Amino acid sequence: MAKSCFLQLIAQVQEVSLDGLETYVPLLSMSQNLAKLAQRIDFNQSSDSDEDGPERESREPWGKPEPEEDEGTVKFQPSLWPWDSVRNNLRSALTEMCVLHDVLSVLKDKKYMALDPVSQDPALTKTPQVFQLISKKKSLATAAQLLLKGAEKLTKSLAENQEQRRQRDFNSELLRLRSQWKLRKVGHKILGDLSYRSAGSLFPHHGTFEVIKNTDIDLDKKVPDDYCPLNVQIPSDLEGSAYIKVSIQKQSADIGDLGTVSLFRRQPKAKPGSQMWHLKLEAAQNVLLCKEIFAQLSREAVQIKSQIPHIVVKNQIISQPFPGLQLSISLCHSTGEKKSQRASPDKSKPDDHLYVLEHNLHQLIREVHTMPHPASSPFGHKRLRLAGPMAYDKAEISSLQQSEGLLEKIIKQAKHIFLRSRTARTIDSLASRIEDPQIQAHWSNINSVYESSVKVLITSQGYEQICKSIQLQLNIGVEQIRVVHRDGRVITLSHQEQELQDFLLSQMSQHQVHAVQQLAKVMGWHVLSFSNHVGLGPIESIGNASAITVASPSGEHAISVRNGPESGCKVLVQFPRNQAKELPKSDAVQDARWTHLRGPYREVHCGRMEGRNFVYKMELLMAALSPCP
Amino acid sequence: MGVTCVCQVPVAEGKSVQQTVDMLHKKLEQLGAIKQGNFWVDCETYHATGNATGQPSKLLYVMHNSETPLSSMALFEGGPGLTADANFDVLMVKLKSHFQNAKGHKVESRGTRYRYCDFLVKIGTVAMSSSARGISVEVEYCACVIPGDCWNLMKEFMQSFLGSSTPELPAVFTNKAEGLYTPVDCMDTMSQYLELFGKVRKQQVLPGSGVR
Repeated sequence: MAKSCFLQLIAQVQEVSLDGLETYVPLLSMSQNLAKLAQRIDFNQSSDSDEDGPERESREPWGKPEPEEDEGTVKFQPSLWPWDSVRNNLRSALTEMCVLHDVLSVLKDKKYMALDPVSQDPALTKTPQVFQLISKKKSLATAAQLLLKGAEKLTKSLAENQEQRRQRDFNSELLRLRSQWKLRKVGHKILGDLSYRSAGSLFPHHGTFEVIKNTDIDLDKKVPDDYCPLNVQIPSDLEGSAYIKVSIQKQSADIGDLGTVSLFRRQPKAKPGSQMWHLKLEAAQNVLLCKEIFAQLSREAVQIKSQIPHIVVKNQIISQPFPGLQLSISLCHSTGEKKSQRASPDKSKPDDHLYVLEHNLHQLIREVHTMPHPASSPFGHKRLRLAGPMAYDKAEISSLQQSEGLLEKIIKQAKHIFLRSRTARTIDSLASRIEDPQIQAHWSNINSVYESSVKVLITSQGYEQICKSIQLQLNIGVEQIRVVHRDGRVITLSHQEQELQDFLLSQMSQHQVHAVQQLAKVMGWHVLSFSNHVGLGPIESIGNASAITVASPSGEHAISVRNGPESGCKVLVQFPRNQAKELPKSDAVQDARWTHLRGPYREVHCGRMEGRNFVYKMELLMAALSPCP
Repeated sequence: MGVTCVCQVPVAEGKSVQQTVDMLHKKLEQLGAIKQGNFWVDCETYHATGNATGQPSKLLYVMHNSETPLSSMALFEGGPGLTADANFDVLMVKLKSHFQNAKGHKVESRGTRYRYCDFLVKIGTVAMSSSARGISVEVEYCACVIPGDCWNLMKEFMQSFLGSSTPELPAVFTNKAEGLYTPVDCMDTMSQYLELFGKVRKQQVLPGSGVR
């Protein structure tokens, strides 16, 4: 019989808290132990209770749990003698010892019993522990291996990072470059294309730039902020910056100088994060564009025939759109190092011209670029495809086809701009100089590059509703101004400033007389005669004089007005004969009633009359001459 | 693009075609018209092949006009017409199996072009296989596209230099379903030319009777 008993020397774990802290059942002290055990011993029930209790007590504790379980809970009597259970246990122990003794003594004789060892597997008892140990060791070793490998890799990559930092930056920069510019790899070199060939340009410049790695950097020192691992090398003739300068200058006194504008000059704003290579490439492309535009212009300047031939000198094209006006287009290319001496006095006019001209130039050059198109579609305008089915005649076809070159278009635009500004200046100067009548100009907002229009009204202040017969629509073209009068006349004026001025002056003088006509209607006076172009009186150098005669409602008075652009205004009033100072006596006319007819004239000094303007004076005059009923 | 009227001028008595044409030129120049280049109108005939019934096959006429240099017009006599790109001729070559070109029947009218304010007058010699057969006069009033509005004006103008040969209102305009007051088409001009060419072709048959 084998009894497994173990010594409880370590404290028992009562509980393990969540943070791993173990709480032990407190070990009992000797006296506590004794008291506990004493409660278990029942000395009353056993007959052979020994005296050497303490020895047995000390031996008992570890044997206690089993005997208690064996006997069950039948003898549970808490009010018994405290040593009762102890006694029982001792007795049972003694019984078992006696039995064992008996067995051993019988075995000793070897007559009736023999001992045979039970075969036991030594591995069973020993190997579980060893196996566990080995397996744990192995698994730990594998885990350690993995971790070590990982750590090795990390350190290696970190080391590589430091070395290849330059290399990786170069690739990411290259990627950025490729997203904006065309690149291709030729052998070991990386070349790029900054020309406009992909847009259809036929300019023979190759426009190739090379991408090189920037390796002159020491990693140990601090990396500068604007360091870029990538550098571009642009062709030497595209270095620096270029722009096209267009200037319109006067050569004679009367034509105004429109000044100078620079196109394509604006530096593109460096966006935050854009690298130096980007700026460099953009500048080079700008230079290429300016060169192409200038080459196209100079080629056309030489080829096309015009009345005044264009002069092409080195990098300047000079042409004369109007006699006395000089238009010069020059290409200014400055390499980056030296500063340009002429501190370009850019007259910063409030320039719609600058953006408009630059935009126009962009559009024109795009039209020159023939866009790549499929082989099946013909050259030319898209709408020409409809020419066949829609039976376009020659006029329509020619209107679709481009026949003008770039230079011609630019010259036309320059002419138009010049003409428009001069017309505006003429009208404004007239308006500020002459107060009566007033001249108003309403410029149309919607213009084209070759045509603008303005509506000119000539009115008298205070009488706008009555006297609105002079309304002119001016269509300013490239070389001429077409005037459409309200009464339907169409007059074409040349680009001379004087013509327009004379015309407006003559219209103003006509307006005065028209105003009197309208006023007469309002006041109830009768118009006796009216002529826009009288053939009598002093000859005017500008236009013709106009005249009107109106009679009062009663017929007693009449007013005659003659107004000429140069001779000014003359007003005469006709009185009835009986109001004349000297009444010529006549034998033929005897009746008194004939004295009521109108007779002599008297001139009115308009300058000394009261009144803000001529029409007002006329109104006063008419009012004065019509007596109140 | 305006209202056109095409008419035929008979050759003057005792004079050749060229002389009559010169007379007309002179009259126009006296009127004040300005010469503005040349013009030509031509017409090719195609037979539709593969006709099951024994009926005479329909004739397709392909015409070109120098006024619309990029177009070709294809029409059946009295029937529908088609305005197409100049590549239509190439298409007809590809349709050789269905439409056969009657090469001997090509008619064309060539001549000078005069401009008188809003009027365009084209005087041409109608030729068939390079023999002059007649004279065609086309008058176009560019300012209007409605025949009903300007026919009287055109008639008056034509009387001033054509005299008795002035035509009546062309049947093309009166035959239209919508009447006289619909805008004209280049097809109307071509139909008129076709009519004239047809007349010219038939004319040749009469003098040389028996010749097909």
